[in-house]
Amino acid sequence: MASSAPADETHFIAHKGHFRLFGLTLDDCIKVFFGGNAVISIIVLALITYFLFREGAGFFGDNRRNLEVYRQAGLEYVDFIRAQQDDHAALTRYLSDLRVRQVKFYTQEKKLSLAEANAAVAGFDEFAGQYGDAVDPIRSLVSDLTEQATAIKEKFNVMEDKKTERDQLVAAGQPAAAAKVVVVPVDFVAELKPILGTLPAYRDASADFAKRLAEVVSAAPAMPSLALQDRLERFRQLNAEYLAGFPAVLRNLETWDFRKPVPAAQAFMSFLFGREWLTASFWQDWYGVVPLLVGSIMVSLVALVLAVPLGVGAAIYVNQIASPIEQKFIKPCIEFISAIPSVVLGFFGIAVLGQALRALSQVKALSWVPGFPYSERLNILTAGCLLALIAVPTIFTLAEDALNNVPRSFKEASFALGATRLQTVIRIIVPASLSGIISAVLLGLGRVIGETMVVLLCAGNRIAIPDFTAGLAVITQPVHTMTGIIAQEMGEVVHGSIHYRALFVVGMLLFFLSLAINYAAQRIVRRYRIAIG
Amino acid sequence: MSALTTHPFQTRASVARRSETAIFWLFRGATYFVLLCGAVVFLNIFVKGSRTVFQTKAPFVNTAFFTESPESLYVFQWEGQKREMGDKEFRAFKETHPAAANVKAESYVYCAGGIFPCIVGTVLLVVGSMTIALTLGVCAAVYLNEYARDGTFIRFVRLAILNLAGVPSIVFGLFGFGMFVIFFGWNVSLLAGWFTLAFMVLPVVITASEESLKAVPKGFREGSLALGATKWQTIRKNVVPYALPGILTSSILGIARVAGETAPIMFTAAYVVRDKLPWQVDHIGDFFFQGVMALPYHIYVVSSKIPQNEYTERVQYGTAFVFLLIVALIAAASILLRSRLRNRYKW
Repeated sequence: MASSAPADETHFIAHKGHFRLFGLTLDDCIKVFFGGNAVISIIVLALITYFLFREGAGFFGDNRRNLEVYRQAGLEYVDFIRAQQDDHAALTRYLSDLRVRQVKFYTQEKKLSLAEANAAVAGFDEFAGQYGDAVDPIRSLVSDLTEQATAIKEKFNVMEDKKTERDQLVAAGQPAAAAKVVVVPVDFVAELKPILGTLPAYRDASADFAKRLAEVVSAAPAMPSLALQDRLERFRQLNAEYLAGFPAVLRNLETWDFRKPVPAAQAFMSFLFGREWLTASFWQDWYGVVPLLVGSIMVSLVALVLAVPLGVGAAIYVNQIASPIEQKFIKPCIEFISAIPSVVLGFFGIAVLGQALRALSQVKALSWVPGFPYSERLNILTAGCLLALIAVPTIFTLAEDALNNVPRSFKEASFALGATRLQTVIRIIVPASLSGIISAVLLGLGRVIGETMVVLLCAGNRIAIPDFTAGLAVITQPVHTMTGIIAQEMGEVVHGSIHYRALFVVGMLLFFLSLAINYAAQRIVRRYRIAIG
Repeated sequence: MSALTTHPFQTRASVARRSETAIFWLFRGATYFVLLCGAVVFLNIFVKGSRTVFQTKAPFVNTAFFTESPESLYVFQWEGQKREMGDKEFRAFKETHPAAANVKAESYVYCAGGIFPCIVGTVLLVVGSMTIALTLGVCAAVYLNEYARDGTFIRFVRLAILNLAGVPSIVFGLFGFGMFVIFFGWNVSLLAGWFTLAFMVLPVVITASEESLKAVPKGFREGSLALGATKWQTIRKNVVPYALPGILTSSILGIARVAGETAPIMFTAAYVVRDKLPWQVDHIGDFFFQGVMALPYHIYVVSSKIPQNEYTERVQYGTAFVFLLIVALIAAASILLRSRLRNRYKW
């Protein structure tokens, strides 16, 4: 168009249509430039996925090899017996708990002095001692086997190191030096022979052990009260179950074959369903995400239980009930709270809240609350309370938006029908904006589950699945979380090691979890939106 | 009078009315409880932190805390008195007092000196990452708001922005570590931190910029186009200038977020301790490839790696106070500016 205009008018539209790059006009080029910037968000998302995979994907191969070594070096074999020993230790703990209860019974109900109470349980002590000592032959066997298996694993690791050294030398172009590095492959058959040779000894020891336990338990002293007697009966039952498991252990040992391959799926399963996250251990490293996942979920749950009523309640209040002046004051204030950096909140948790909550739990009048009193300053509750303060502004802002989107006519129609303000809010406004509120809660969850510094500082950082048998009191136990473990261990791991890759896989899980939560929130908004208007 | 009090529209005290009041008070309670919690956190840190930051003698502000590097604190008995000294001072003291050479001193790491390098590092990180994020974000918003037509591609872009906003900050940290630190080989550096933080805050900037662009009335564009200006001229002269104040103020909230995040810089840009200040480099190029100390990371270090006692509490609360003050000022500025802007432009 521009080129066809008369010459004396060209100055007006002079810049149109002269510049060409790959056949594009200047305007097209500018458009492409801006478009390119818009694509960056897609690129970044793709890059995040790519780099998480790039660093993390190798984990599953490494973990499979890790499990293979676990099997080939006989560690798995030893762990069968060790599990037996550990179960016995658990039963012994049950007995010592029973002893504490008896002493308590004697001192509190019978009003005996401590010395008298101790004398009264002397018979029980002897019984418990015999029960505890019965495991000794098994224990010495396990410690022998542990040494042997560790030695095999060590030998294997040395060989692996030498292999890497040789490969590095070859890569560096020093074949002569590489040839000097002697790599002797580990002969697992020969190495495992002594370990497998202990099977008859174990069979005898195990049989003796079972007989001894049965004898000891049958001669258990009677309990002073019915409740305690019940506990003893329970112990007898547990012991019987324990003894019934012995043949299975033996069968496991007999059929155990170190050549059995580790399926690829197991490397994956042992991560996703593994109940142990154990690193830098002398025996065997485990990378099971369950304790971390459970920790993250527990902390987020506590945070949401606190934050949802507060956030949604505040949103309803500000949107429907508050006067305009209050609104003008409250909204910026809550926005202000969202600006508090999480690391400052975490510090507040360590310095003030942890102690304050613990002191609160030790108040006598509150001892009916489950889990109170507790002694761990940093636990799920502390972290959950602080995370709630992080989630509230998110939930508040989004829920308030959702409430705001309900047309005025809904409210007016409800009032016109004679409904009170409360009825209007509960029956009309909230249901009409429910999809928005739910998605607000979900986005709040996303915010909480991805929060790092607060949980790193305040969740207690104990890598174990919390004891759910405690009921609600579980929230006073310390946990570790997915975000926390990445932040804590990433700085210390060797680059490229299996541990390093495991942390990236945890990051991957976190990434996909947050995408899923985001996706769910968007779906809910779109799907369940009441047709308004 | 009695006729007046029993008119048919009068609010009668009933169970429904009373429960309404009760439930509304519950909502009110929830709201003010949240504000109270926020206030408690603020006040606790402000009150305890101000003991470190302010002093009773002129100039009333503890200047050493703002201008010196962190060093170890030594506490010892000297001539019957308890003396506290920083590392440098203690060494000088030992030289002037030979008898002090063998004095038994308890040392507390990071508890003397100040947090100057941390403040510098935080400022550098924020300025750099916000420059990158604003450039990318504003351009992306211009495209989305001015050029794009609805379609599959744009839906994808918007979806990506939404999802990017939900990615946890620690995942950005991992990504930055994997890409910039390892793959590009930048090591722990300012540049890696800049890009990591910029990508993290990008969705916030894009959304804020788009909103401001949307607020510019359509007539501005149409008028310009009708006068024969090209699209680019229209955007440059008649759209962006009017949207810019809005973009900048909304982006301040992004700045607060960048300044407050710890997780993404933990493995990409932050050092626990660094003796040199960022401008003490041999080549100008090294400037971008050096790690820095940062306030949020320093708070993490001093609150988790050293035990709590009266000496460490000073530096803990002092750092938290300064940091919270900076972030709160940024946030307050953003909130204030936005409400003023809302009143100024009305079209």
